[in-house]
Amino acid sequence: MIATGNRLRRDDGVAQSVLERLGPASGGVETRALLQLTPEVAEDIAPYDAVIFIDADAGATELGLAQLDELPSSAVLTHVSRPADIVALSRALFGFTGRAFLCRIPVDDLSLGEGLSRRASAIAAQATEMVRALLSSPDTN
Amino acid sequence: MSRQIVIQPVTRIEGHAKISIQLDDSGQVQSANFHVTEFRGFEKLCEGRPFQEMPGLMSRVCGICPVSHVLASSKAGDMLLGVEIPPAAEKQRRLVNYAQILQSHALSFFHLSSPDLLLGMDAPAAKRNIFGLLEKDTDFLRKGIRLRQFGQRVIELVGGKRIHPSWSGPGGVHLRFSVEQRDEILAWIPEAVDSISMALDRLKGLLDSFHVEVEHMGNFPSLFLATVNGQGSLEYYEGLIRIVDGKGNTIADGLDPRRFFTFLGEASEDYSFVKFPFYLPFGYPQGHYRVGPLARLNVAKFAGTARADRELREFKHRGADQECEGVVCESFHFHLARLIEMLHCVERIEELMTDPDLFGENTQAKASLNRREGIGSCEAPRGTLFHHYWVDKDGLMTKADLLIATAQNNQAMNLAVEQTARHFLRPAANGAPPDEGMLNRLEAAIRCYDPCLSCSTHALGQMPLIVELTGPGGILLRRITRESCFEHS
Repeated sequence: MIATGNRLRRDDGVAQSVLERLGPASGGVETRALLQLTPEVAEDIAPYDAVIFIDADAGATELGLAQLDELPSSAVLTHVSRPADIVALSRALFGFTGRAFLCRIPVDDLSLGEGLSRRASAIAAQATEMVRALLSSPDTN
Repeated sequence: MSRQIVIQPVTRIEGHAKISIQLDDSGQVQSANFHVTEFRGFEKLCEGRPFQEMPGLMSRVCGICPVSHVLASSKAGDMLLGVEIPPAAEKQRRLVNYAQILQSHALSFFHLSSPDLLLGMDAPAAKRNIFGLLEKDTDFLRKGIRLRQFGQRVIELVGGKRIHPSWSGPGGVHLRFSVEQRDEILAWIPEAVDSISMALDRLKGLLDSFHVEVEHMGNFPSLFLATVNGQGSLEYYEGLIRIVDGKGNTIADGLDPRRFFTFLGEASEDYSFVKFPFYLPFGYPQGHYRVGPLARLNVAKFAGTARADRELREFKHRGADQECEGVVCESFHFHLARLIEMLHCVERIEELMTDPDLFGENTQAKASLNRREGIGSCEAPRGTLFHHYWVDKDGLMTKADLLIATAQNNQAMNLAVEQTARHFLRPAANGAPPDEGMLNRLEAAIRCYDPCLSCSTHALGQMPLIVELTGPGGILLRRITRESCFEHS
């Protein structure tokens, strides 16, 4: 599981909050909290059976957890990559054959500062349950 | 009717920027400017904070080169304490700096500029990215990603994390280096050398096909400024400043970076939030100078490592054929300089692995505040970086001044944009937008410098570029806005 975001931009840190709520990783699950996705993450995920990206999304209207559309989404991939880009690169360059999921958490407060808004905190609890259910489902096992 | 072209956002750079091109009545380029349109005022955030917090705070200026800010800030803190740090701490800082230059240059060359180089300046915009490279040369791209991975891994091993490592502070570093870390790093070295050598061969083989771009995308004489060691070779952590001119004459040597404010000034222009530093004795704008990979290779007499020295000798011949004796003035050759520096950094990393100092137990010099003013400098990936701090009697920051590498290349980027526009831009007479390849060359001229606008304005956020075309009286005729290439994270 890869949680992406900057905890100094308030709700942008919601993914890392989800990781904390899930508790210590176990049963072959490994977690990583990253400020941003960069191309070398493509190599990092290659050995795994499945990858779950968790990220704040200011453009999302509702919480979602779904198998990732693996078509590269961006014509311009530079310092920061999108989950679909990472998965596409990993498959092409490093032999990733697993499944990929993206949990998008709607947020609206990305101002400078620490701590989640009340809304983001509530949605983080729902996202945690969603991810927990996915982890225990056959899809990821 | 005269017109203005605006490119916004400039893509595949770090930060917000736009290019504006003023055309005259006959459609010829009258002037061109590179505008940095973001503002942050990071220096102000520091005031009132303890100086011990500065490395951690300053690393947040940038997610690409945070190590440079940690190091310059730590060194300013060392000066405030009035200490000489233990050898183990110095060697660790050197090691992480080499790793950071390696990963940053790998990002610039393989991820940001290679699409232009391998696919061509006129390739469709939708293909000029690393997915286009994926179709063209999988092995090249894989090697590039793994090179950056190596640099990031060294930073993580030594500094605790890949981005914003906070292991260094005033007086030294907080962690010890281990044999296990050494073994992991050593295991990467052969692959890293092989990958950089491959990239060097590839780039040198491509240069003939870019001879027009080499000649006309930012080819001009200027001053070059960089840090060198006592023997005059490449130095990235601790040394003295040397300035040479476009003909290879040494203009100044042995300048103490802790006195940078006595020989460097900063001007401002109303069209950009980035300042315009200049060499004080020459005044502004005549005293503009360049820093970074091209400047370092022009200023240093030799590299000090075997492979890099072979490449550097060959590199300097590129200048020897022209009026500039041994000095390479073409901005396009920043790419080649970057690769040579990557090779040098890997060689230096390998050398450090056998240096017993690196494994020393004592990593901290203990002291309390002994000075009220501290200055730290180092060579960051994009050039010489200076942090200048003032504190009160309790060690609380009263003022900070950061002189950032990208800002020092600001005037050169403006000249490069103007020269590129004059040579390549041929606006259609019927008002149609300029050819995509022309616009891409304008951006590519800037990408040679790999500007980090987050650093130079100390800003954060997205990184678009805008190109504006204006006519007489400043009337906006056309504005081209590119897709942002940076998400909110």
